[in-house]
Amino acid sequence: MHEMNPSEDSGQITNERESRRRFESLALPHLDAAYNLARWLTRNEHDAQDVVQDACLRALRYFSAFRGEQVRPWLLQIVRHTCYTWLKENRPAEVVSFDDDDGEPRIETAAPASDEPQAVALRHADRALINQSIAALPIVYREVLVLRELEDLSYKDIARIADIPIGTVMSRLARARALMREALQPGARPVLRTVPRSPQAGVK
Amino acid sequence: MMKPELESQRLNAFVDGELDLARQLEIEAQLVHDARLQAEVLGLQRLRAAVRRHADYHAAPAALRSRIFGQLVDERPAARRDLSRWFAWRPLALSLTFVALLAWGLGLMLSWPSHDERVLQDAIASHVRATLSQRLVDVASSDRHTVKPWLSSRLDFSPPVQELRVPGMVFVGGRIDYLDGHPVAALVYRQRDHIIDVFVWPSSHADDRLQTATQRGFNVAHHARGGMTYWLVSDLNRDELASVARSLDVADAAR
Repeated sequence: MHEMNPSEDSGQITNERESRRRFESLALPHLDAAYNLARWLTRNEHDAQDVVQDACLRALRYFSAFRGEQVRPWLLQIVRHTCYTWLKENRPAEVVSFDDDDGEPRIETAAPASDEPQAVALRHADRALINQSIAALPIVYREVLVLRELEDLSYKDIARIADIPIGTVMSRLARARALMREALQPGARPVLRTVPRSPQAGVK
Repeated sequence: MMKPELESQRLNAFVDGELDLARQLEIEAQLVHDARLQAEVLGLQRLRAAVRRHADYHAAPAALRSRIFGQLVDERPAARRDLSRWFAWRPLALSLTFVALLAWGLGLMLSWPSHDERVLQDAIASHVRATLSQRLVDVASSDRHTVKPWLSSRLDFSPPVQELRVPGMVFVGGRIDYLDGHPVAALVYRQRDHIIDVFVWPSSHADDRLQTATQRGFNVAHHARGGMTYWLVSDLNRDELASVARSLDVADAAR
């Protein structure tokens, strides 16, 4: 009977209640951001839902250690970590360890002789084409692009979430955009043609 | 000559506004003479705009939301509850869910200005850059019939250029700037020693009433009218800036 020891009992419940209440009011407003990231990383609705649910439970567990930083990057860091764990177990080919300097294809910086063809392509590029091109990026490029363009996060936040130095954020973002521009050119070659030794090449 | 990878990263950071002021200015200076660089920056800006406009943002499905709320409720320590307490809990859980959903909805509504917040930051940065670099105007003329065609020929829209009937207000000229991912017109006015930047570009938003904000000591006023969005940045005090914005509005309406 809890009446036997009322003070301890109610104290504990109040703490847990308080912690959940804080979690609900601080972290759950970022559920859309969490799902968006998981959905882009797993490229599948059901998997994304599982991952986000799991990530929220983990987040709640770590929440007592959370000290007034920014909630969204903090939650996204957990979501990303949960995604990678899930992918390693279920689709290991997608998260092969990735060395940015190793086998990195040269980046084309030279602009097309005229910018026109690309401008036209971008103006006409429809939702489907853009979505496809993002989905086709290797995961390390996809995540920085999604965090930057869809979540509008700073390089610093992205570095923290993806657990990489800011220099790597810069190089991956530049590469992600170079690949996107290539993919969106009229009569584009297959998106991942220039990425060597990437086992997921060609997978949409 | 910089390695192409590094140059590409530098331009990406430039487009993202992630460079420090000195390096940002350095690139801006290079951009003026280098057509290849301009094309590259434009390409990146177009891509950025296209991705932001078209890429799917996957909002959490309602099912997931209720699953997570359900789970949070379930996680509450069942062993310590007796029946009467459980019944006492249920309305609370429901109302918590309701409140959280409401908060989420409100959050969605309130999170829209985060775009405005970004533009605000960009507008202030641009104002500071222009005043620091002494490159206030690309075309210096107090005659709006000189400035307007100059701007129109370099933008894909024709900005309204007005002389303001505000005492002591001098029209200094105009320049082209980048804001919110596209080239915009910046009209520059001076009152006493205060520089006022008026950024103008077309927007698809409905008319917006005048809003003001203060950040880092700068005052900002914003409104949208007739398919154009206006951002005013100055160290002029807030009330004076608001009245400048209003006279802009009046001049625009009378046009």
